[in-house]
Amino acid sequence: MMAAVFATMLLSVAIGWFGHRILALACFGICLALSLGLFLYEVYSPDYGFRMPWLQVERHGTPPANTPMGEIAS
Amino acid sequence: MIFEEVLEPPSRASAWLNYAALLLTTTAAAGILTAALYFQYTAAEIPCPLCLLQRVALFGVCFGAMLSFRHGFSYANSGISLIFSVFLLVVSARQSLLDIYPRPGHAYIGSAVLGLHMPVWSVLIALALLIGQAVQLALFGDSRRVLDTGVRVFPVLGTLATLVSLYVIALCAANLVSVVLQCGIDQCHTFGYQLLSPAPNPP
Repeated sequence: MMAAVFATMLLSVAIGWFGHRILALACFGICLALSLGLFLYEVYSPDYGFRMPWLQVERHGTPPANTPMGEIAS
Repeated sequence: MIFEEVLEPPSRASAWLNYAALLLTTTAAAGILTAALYFQYTAAEIPCPLCLLQRVALFGVCFGAMLSFRHGFSYANSGISLIFSVFLLVVSARQSLLDIYPRPGHAYIGSAVLGLHMPVWSVLIALALLIGQAVQLALFGDSRRVLDTGVRVFPVLGTLATLVSLYVIALCAANLVSVVLQCGIDQCHTFGYQLLSPAPNPP
């Protein structure tokens, strides 16, 4: 799949420079569609889907109103 | 040569600056791609699939600029570069968020440069590209003459643009060969080159 992405990108830049703009744009469209598909495939997890649960943090309590910024309330 | 006689000095300067900015962008992208390929083979840092997609995005940015060099500056060509700049930002931001919390199977790949790993650098590069293109369109997008002028009006810039564009095409071909060596026609992994040696079991 990645080889197809790079092959269509090579066709895009080569045809765009040496040949027809329309044909190059067609290759560009295919390359973009393949890239987007591959990106979604790579980031999808069977466990989490597209979510990133490791980024969620626990709330340990509300600091008092007069706690300076950066200090953690005990 | 006809344009050279027709263009008034301010328009000529705008067109020159516009193409110089495009050439600078393309050269910077080509430099980053060259460095990535260099470190891949000298430091044995095999790129992950998302890293390879970031390379594709940088080639896409170059593609938009190359179309402007070849067929004249246009909003359509700038749009292509912008699409791939946004794609670069999305992929690199997602990869940074994937690896920001080290856990089995997920950690920043490769060595840090100035304290930042490659996906984080890619976020900064994408932002720089987006800001640069926005400024370029804001400064030169309103000038009819800039849109009508080809890069060949400026011999030195035209020659440099041709050389950089040919280099980008060669670099893209080298990356295709590298990707085929690493992934074959299968899924990409970071623990070996599939076509050079049998891939060991993943760690």
